[in-house]
Amino acid sequence: MKRKSHSEKAGYLFILPWFLGLLLFTIGPMIFSLILSFSKWDIITGIGSIEFVGLDNFVNIFHDELFYTSLKVTFIFALVSVPLYQIISLLVAMMLNMRTKGMNFFRLIFFMPSVIPAVAVSMMWIMILNPEYGILNKALSLVGIEGPAWLQDPKYALSALIVMGIWGIGNTIIIYLSGLQGVPEELYEAAQLDGAGIVRRFFSVTIPMISPTIFFNLIMGIIGGFQYFTQAFVMTNGGPLNSTLFYNLFLYNKAFKTYEMGYASALSWILFAIILIFTLIVIRTSSAWVYYNGDDDKD
Amino acid sequence: MNIQTSFRKNFAKLIALLILIGGSLIVLVPLLWTVSTSLKTPGEVFGDNFFPEVWKWSNYNDAVNAIPFFTFLKNTLIVLVPVLIGTVFSSALCAYGFARFKFKGKRWLFLVLLATMMLPGQVTMIPMFIMFKEVGWVDTFWPLIIPSFFGGGAFNIFLIRQFMRGIPRDLDEAAFMDGANRWQIFSKIMLPLSKPPLVAVGIFTFMGVWNDFQGPLIYLNSTEKYTLALGLSMFKGLYNIEWNMLMAATILIMLPVLIVFFVAQKYFIEGISISSAMKG
Repeated sequence: MKRKSHSEKAGYLFILPWFLGLLLFTIGPMIFSLILSFSKWDIITGIGSIEFVGLDNFVNIFHDELFYTSLKVTFIFALVSVPLYQIISLLVAMMLNMRTKGMNFFRLIFFMPSVIPAVAVSMMWIMILNPEYGILNKALSLVGIEGPAWLQDPKYALSALIVMGIWGIGNTIIIYLSGLQGVPEELYEAAQLDGAGIVRRFFSVTIPMISPTIFFNLIMGIIGGFQYFTQAFVMTNGGPLNSTLFYNLFLYNKAFKTYEMGYASALSWILFAIILIFTLIVIRTSSAWVYYNGDDDKD
Repeated sequence: MNIQTSFRKNFAKLIALLILIGGSLIVLVPLLWTVSTSLKTPGEVFGDNFFPEVWKWSNYNDAVNAIPFFTFLKNTLIVLVPVLIGTVFSSALCAYGFARFKFKGKRWLFLVLLATMMLPGQVTMIPMFIMFKEVGWVDTFWPLIIPSFFGGGAFNIFLIRQFMRGIPRDLDEAAFMDGANRWQIFSKIMLPLSKPPLVAVGIFTFMGVWNDFQGPLIYLNSTEKYTLALGLSMFKGLYNIEWNMLMAATILIMLPVLIVFFVAQKYFIEGISISSAMKG
């Protein structure tokens, strides 16, 4: 009797909004997008004029120089920024994990930039990175370095965006901090009694114990890196000389500037495949390096 | 030996504190410089002084008048309020369904829910745009509002569902025995008890809407319909850049999120901690 009260059909009613949303805004569009990716269509003429072209879009994409440029920009960004941000975040989080007065103040400060709208951050940094009166080059000149023209120089524009990103890694720091707070103090004490130094303790206690957090941050970092858009759109719009033409920006241009909807849809599936491959690599290798305390995982 | 280790410990702590202070400066100096630039005269912007000679508060007034700031604010709120209601309410509804009911295919549907979190928005972006264009909703606020009423996002459902599973079943079962129906249990018992994740979802939604750029960029064409984030980027392109005013506008769009952040920091950090406890 008691059990039966929970096995009603009413459950379907409660999840109905999500299920309708799934059909309308996820599965439906996915099917449509798949069809589009094998079609040619400029959206200006009606839906009736969608023309099936088989693999043409994909063939064209693999002959498109800009596709490779955007791929290169995005891969460089992801390969540099993901590990860089993770390492810095983890180090800062470890310092923020100390038990000292005033630590809450530092935590707030470091987390703050990650809530600021990306557009506002971009505006700030356009000014900061300005070669003549920007504060970064002024600071560099104090130590005798002549800063480059950052966003106007194809050699430095991508690096400028990577450097800027460090300013906003508070999100990742907080997640590492919460992971670190879950590590039992006894483990460190036991390791210390066994004569483990600070480096040894870091690699044999901290890293394994927070490996689920590293795993989570790594996946989020990869997904975020491949979808980078707003800052590039606002600050450089892909330039100079396509040095910051991120994949997502390239895709946006194809869809909403030149209205090549089929081509752009094909691009979006390639992006999906790339993210999926990287995520799967992380997940597959995770069994070798992620340790779960796992006794609370029951359904 | 004890003295030696304690010395070494304190020394390490000191170094760490110094690094933290340095890091805080790296975070704060750009912000302070933005504030100070927003208070300078145009001539001073190009000078070497960090702080303005005279604090020109009228820059804020000028910035607000140079762009239709209050129209953009109104537009942002027109999107924000319904999205907030839609997201919190519909994600709570679905979370309750997943937390408390047994029905055929539930495990499978829940897996689908989790899987949708992995799907990059770019895949559905183009077809959704076409759909909304076909029903004549491009350049209206509907495409930004309506989807929030359909489940409020997989991540939010997941967050609330995890919390609801922790509420003792005896509570709602007793109410059920007393003749309360499902809807009453949801609205009178589960909703009030789930305040922490609901508040967290509310705050994240506020941030999401306030910070959203690509959504309004795709769907809104006419300037008088722009939201703040979109309007600010337009400000940069339209005028010969007056940096002091641009920075004043930048500060104005940051301020509400910073206020919410400082008031609600506890929920933020809890919300983020819960999300990272999710297992892959």
